[in-house]
Amino acid sequence: MTVSDFRRSASEFWREFRKVRSGVFGLIFLAIFICILIFEPLIVPYPEANEKWRDITYWQDLPSSAPPSWINLFTSKKRAVSESIEEYAFSETLAGAMRIQEYVFEYDYSASVAPSDVVFHASGVGKPTVVISIQRPDGLSIDLYRKQLEMSPTQDARVSIDRSAQTAAMNFGKKYSPSEGVQLQTIKTTDVLFSEAKQGIFRSPSPLVGIYKLKVTLLLQKAEEKIEDAFVTVAGRVHGILGTDNSKRDIWSGVIAGVKWAMLIGLLTALVSVSIGVVYGVISAYVGGWKDSLMQRIFEIFISVPMLPVLIVMSAVFKPNIWVMIGIMCIFYWVGPVKTVRSMGLQIKEETYIEASRALGASNTRIIFKHMVPLLIPYAFASMALNVPGAIVVEATISLLGLGDATIVTWGQILQAANSGGAMLSGMWWWVVPPGMAIAFMGMTFAFVGFAMDKILNPKLKTR
Amino acid sequence: MDNILTVDNLKLYYYTSKGVVKAVDDISFSLKKGETLGLVGESGCGKTTTGFALLKMPTPPGKIAGGKIVIDGIDMTPLRENEMRRNIRWEKISMVFQGAMNTLTPVYTIGKQMMETLQEHREMEREEARKRIEKYLNLVGLSGDMVKRYPHELSGGMKQRIAIATALFLEPKVIICDEPTTALDVIVQAQIINLLKDLKEKLDLSFIFITHDLATEAEVSDRIAVMYAGKIVEIGTNQQIYGEQGPCHPYTRNLLAATPRLHAKVSELSFIPGAPPDLLEPPSGCRFHPRCALAMDKCREEEPPLIEIEEEHMVACWRCEKR
Amino acid sequence: MTEKIIEVKDLQKWFPIRRSISQFFKGEHNYVKAVDGISFSINRGEIFGLVGESGCGKTTTGKLIMKLLEPTEGTMFLNGEDVTHIEKDELKRYRRNVQMIFQDPYASMNPRFKIRDVMEEPLIIHKLGEDRDARMKMIEKALMEVKLNPPDEFLVRYPHMLSGGQRQRAATARTLLLNPELLVADEPVSMIDLSTRAEILHMMKEVQRDLGLTYLYITHDLSTARYFTDRIAVMYLGKIIEIGDPDDVIDNPVHPYTRALIAAVCEPVAGKVNKPKVVPIKGEIPSAANIPKGCRFHPRCPYAKEECWEKEEPQLQEIEDGHFHACRRWKEVVEEAGRG
Repeated sequence: MTVSDFRRSASEFWREFRKVRSGVFGLIFLAIFICILIFEPLIVPYPEANEKWRDITYWQDLPSSAPPSWINLFTSKKRAVSESIEEYAFSETLAGAMRIQEYVFEYDYSASVAPSDVVFHASGVGKPTVVISIQRPDGLSIDLYRKQLEMSPTQDARVSIDRSAQTAAMNFGKKYSPSEGVQLQTIKTTDVLFSEAKQGIFRSPSPLVGIYKLKVTLLLQKAEEKIEDAFVTVAGRVHGILGTDNSKRDIWSGVIAGVKWAMLIGLLTALVSVSIGVVYGVISAYVGGWKDSLMQRIFEIFISVPMLPVLIVMSAVFKPNIWVMIGIMCIFYWVGPVKTVRSMGLQIKEETYIEASRALGASNTRIIFKHMVPLLIPYAFASMALNVPGAIVVEATISLLGLGDATIVTWGQILQAANSGGAMLSGMWWWVVPPGMAIAFMGMTFAFVGFAMDKILNPKLKTR
Repeated sequence: MDNILTVDNLKLYYYTSKGVVKAVDDISFSLKKGETLGLVGESGCGKTTTGFALLKMPTPPGKIAGGKIVIDGIDMTPLRENEMRRNIRWEKISMVFQGAMNTLTPVYTIGKQMMETLQEHREMEREEARKRIEKYLNLVGLSGDMVKRYPHELSGGMKQRIAIATALFLEPKVIICDEPTTALDVIVQAQIINLLKDLKEKLDLSFIFITHDLATEAEVSDRIAVMYAGKIVEIGTNQQIYGEQGPCHPYTRNLLAATPRLHAKVSELSFIPGAPPDLLEPPSGCRFHPRCALAMDKCREEEPPLIEIEEEHMVACWRCEKR
Repeated sequence: MTEKIIEVKDLQKWFPIRRSISQFFKGEHNYVKAVDGISFSINRGEIFGLVGESGCGKTTTGKLIMKLLEPTEGTMFLNGEDVTHIEKDELKRYRRNVQMIFQDPYASMNPRFKIRDVMEEPLIIHKLGEDRDARMKMIEKALMEVKLNPPDEFLVRYPHMLSGGQRQRAATARTLLLNPELLVADEPVSMIDLSTRAEILHMMKEVQRDLGLTYLYITHDLSTARYFTDRIAVMYLGKIIEIGDPDDVIDNPVHPYTRALIAAVCEPVAGKVNKPKVVPIKGEIPSAANIPKGCRFHPRCPYAKEECWEKEEPQLQEIEDGHFHACRRWKEVVEEAGRG
C-alpha cells in the first residue's frame, strides 16, 4: 500500500466515521486524554505526584481533607485558599559575632475561614535560633515560636505554626476571652490567630481580615551558617482544583497522573491480547480439522476461567506489579476476538486467491500473515478499542481491593484510599467522584470509538 | 400478426455522480403475439436494463428518460407506480430475473414462498391459490408435492422451473427471461429451452429472451435484436441472422464468428479486439467504430440510423446496403 | 514415442460427509465420491481437455493434480516420478512444475494487492530473482508474453481495474513466471465475455506453442474444447466415460452420455426455433453421495438394459486408435442411434 492509497482509504474511513455521532464524541474525549498525557507536567501542580504519592513529606505543606477551591464560588463563607509567599522584606544587623537576619512575610487574609496552617521553610546550614512572631492588622503582635533549628544540605528547616504555636495562641485568646474554658488540645491555632481579639474567640471567632505580617528572626552565631530560600506556605481550607485527601495529597495531581497508567493498562492489554487472539483465531480457522478442534477446546478452557479471582489471588501471592497485572489480563483477554476472527477466517480461507496462493507454493505462514490477517486488521482495531475499558476497570477493581501496584498511582488506588479513609462517611465527595468519573470517561471514550469503528468496519453490522 | 408490445424511442439513463450513463439510448422495437424476441449483446450493453425498463422499474440511480411503451393496447407511459403494480406488472408482463433460482429463501418451503408472491399480487382464497400453484407447477413439469420441499433439496433446473412458474402465475401476456439458462449445465439448459418453447405454444405467450449467447438465441428466438453500447444495432428474423447470407452489421458478424460451433472444425476462432466503450463517454458517430475493421470516416462522425435493408431486417450501419 | 508428463492411475477423492447416529455405531461411513477411480495420462506438449457437467468431478481432478487436495486412493506420476504423497520441499518443487489458472480471474487475485504484488508473489515464494529490479524485469517479460502491453501501465493497477480478459492474462503470466511444464486451466474463459473469449484461448495457445507447455483444460463447454484441445475426456459422476481425439468424440460419440451432451449443445445456426431439442437422456444427475450400482449412467440412459445395472461397472475399452469408452452396449447404441 502506498501513501496515497492509504490516504484515500483513511479519508473514506473518516467520512464514514463522521456520521457516527458517538464515535466523534469518543474521538474528542480521546484527543483530550492524549493532550492531558502530553501536557501532564504543565497542568499538574505537583509533577512528582506519581513517584511521591506515598511520600508523606512531599505532601505535608498541603491542607488535609480540603475541598476544591472553587467551592468558594458557591458559599458565602469564603475559605482561605492555599498559597505560597516567596516575597519578603529582609534586614540583617550585626551584634558582635552574631548576625541577626529578619524576614518579614506579608499575608493578605480576606476569607472568612482561616487557613489550616502557615509554614515557614528555609534551607541552609547551621543551627540558628529562630523567633517567629506575627503582627496582626489590628496592631497586636504575638510571639509564636522560638527554637533552635538544625539545617544541613540534606535537611531543610520547616516550622509549622499550627503545630508549634498552640500554646501562644491559647495564651493570646485567653487574654481577650478569659471566660471561655478551653483545653490546649482542642485549639486550632490558625483560627485564633486570624480572628478578632474579643470575647468568644475560641468558640465563635469572627475573622479579622487584613494584612498579617509574619516576622521571622534568625540568630546566626557562626560565620559559616547561612540561610537560603526562605519562604512561607499557607495551607488553605480549600485546595487546588480537586481538593486533597486525608493524607494531604492533591487529588487533581493524582487523577491526572492516573491518565497515563489507565491508557497504558488499557491499550497495552488490548493490543497484546487482541493480537494474540486474532492470530490464534486465524490459525485455528486456517489449519482446520482436529487441530482446529483442539485449539477451540483450549480457547474454551480459557474463556470459562473467571479472570478476577485469579487476578486477586495472583496479586495477593506475588508482590503486586502493574506489568504482571497486564500480563495476567492478556492471558485472559485474548479469547475475546477468537470466535469472530475464526468465523471470518473460515470465510476468507475459502476465497480463490487463498487457494491460488497455495497453488503458487506459498507457505501457511505467508498465507496467514500476508493474505488473511490484513483483512482482519480493521476488526482487530475495533476489538482493541472495545477491550480497553474492561482492562481499566479490572485494574481499578484490583486496586480497590488494595492489591494494586504500590509504586504508581492509579484511579483505582485513589478510590481504594478514599474507601479506607472513610471519604463517603465524612462527605468528601471530591475524593471519590473525580477518579470514578475518570474511569467512566476513559471507558466511554474507547467504547464510543470502538462501537463506531465496529459499525463501519464490521461487515456483519454494515446495513448498506 | 398483432403487436402485443411496442417500444418507441425508449431511453433509460443512470444519473451517477460521475455523469449520465446512457445505458439504454433511444431503442425501438415491437413484439408480436406468440413470438420470442431475443435480446443479445455483451455484458454491459444494456440488455438487462432494457428488461427492467419494460417493467418500468429501473434500478436506482436509473431513470426512464423518455420513450413510449404500449402493452396489449395500454400505454404504460403515463401510468403511476401503484397502477403499474396493480394492472401491469405480473398481470400483463412479468420477468424471470437473472439468477432468480438463487433468490429462494432457504428457510421456507417452495409452497410458502410461491403463496406469498401470489397473494402479494392478487387477493385469493388459500385453497384456490394452492390449486393455482399446483397447476403451474405441473405446467412447468414439476409435481405438485414440490410445494412441501425446501430449496436446498432441489437442483438448479428445478429451481429455474419454479422461477418460471412464479412468473406465469397471473397469466401475463409477455414474459421477459433474463439469462434463464446461463448458470445451468448444457443438458438442463436444453430442457429449460424446451420448456419455454412448450409454454409459448400452450399458453400463447410472447417472450423476450435476454442472453449474451448467440447460440442459445438461435434455438429459441423467432427474431433477434442485437444490442451494443445501449443501442440496437441490428434486428432480424432467425433466418436472416443465422441463415446463409448472415447478418449485416459488422458487430453481429464478428460476434457470430466468435461463437464457437460444435460441429464445425475450425482452426482459429475469431474475436473482437478491444473492449466495449465506457458509456459515460461513448465514442462519436457509430459506437462500434473503434473496434470495427470496416470503419470509415463517416462512421466516426455520424451516427448511423436503424434502417430496413430487407423485410423485417433492420441494421444501423453505414456499410450495409439494401438487399 | 511421446513422453508422458503426468499419469494418474485409479485416482479417487472421497469426501466424508455427516452420518446418522445408527451409522456411527455400525461403523458405516458416508462419502461424496467426487472422483471415483480415474486413470489417464497427458503427453508433453499436449492440450488435454476434461469435459463434464458441474458436479462431475472435473474441478476436483484439477485440484488433485495441482495437489491442492490429497487423493484418497490411487497414484500420480510426474515425469515418471511418484508424486502421490509429497510434502514440503518436494511439494514446493512440484508447484514450480505444475501450475493452475482459476476460473474466476478476479477472485484468484487478492483484491488488496496491486498487479505488481500479485505477480511478485510466486517469485518471492520461490526466491527467484536477486532483487526487486530483477523480479520486475521477469514480471515485465511475462506480461509481454501474454500481450499485456505496456507492462508498466498494468503493474500499478489493482485487479478490479482490469477487464476480465486482462485479469486472466495477468493470471496466466503469474503462473508462467515459475516456468511450469504443466498448466491446469480450470474453466479459464467461462467468466469472460464472448467477444474476448477466443482472444484469451488464442493467447493461451500461443503461449503453449512458444514455451512448449502442456495444458489440462477443464471445461463444461464442448465447443471450445473441440477448438482448443488435442484430446478430450468426458467425465460423468466421478468417472471418465469416454476419451479420445476431440473430432472423433464429438463427431462419432459412442457413450450415450456423450451423445446427450452433444445433442444438448446450442449452435448458432438457423431453422431450429420451431422444433424442440431432442436430448436422449432421462431425469437429473444423481448425487455423488449415492452412485447407482452397475453402470453409473444406467438410470438416465435411454438404451439401458438389465445387464447395465446387474453386471459390474464397465471399464474403458478401446474402439479405435486412441478412442476409449465405457459402455457395455456400445454396439447396440451406435446402431440404434444411427437408425434414430
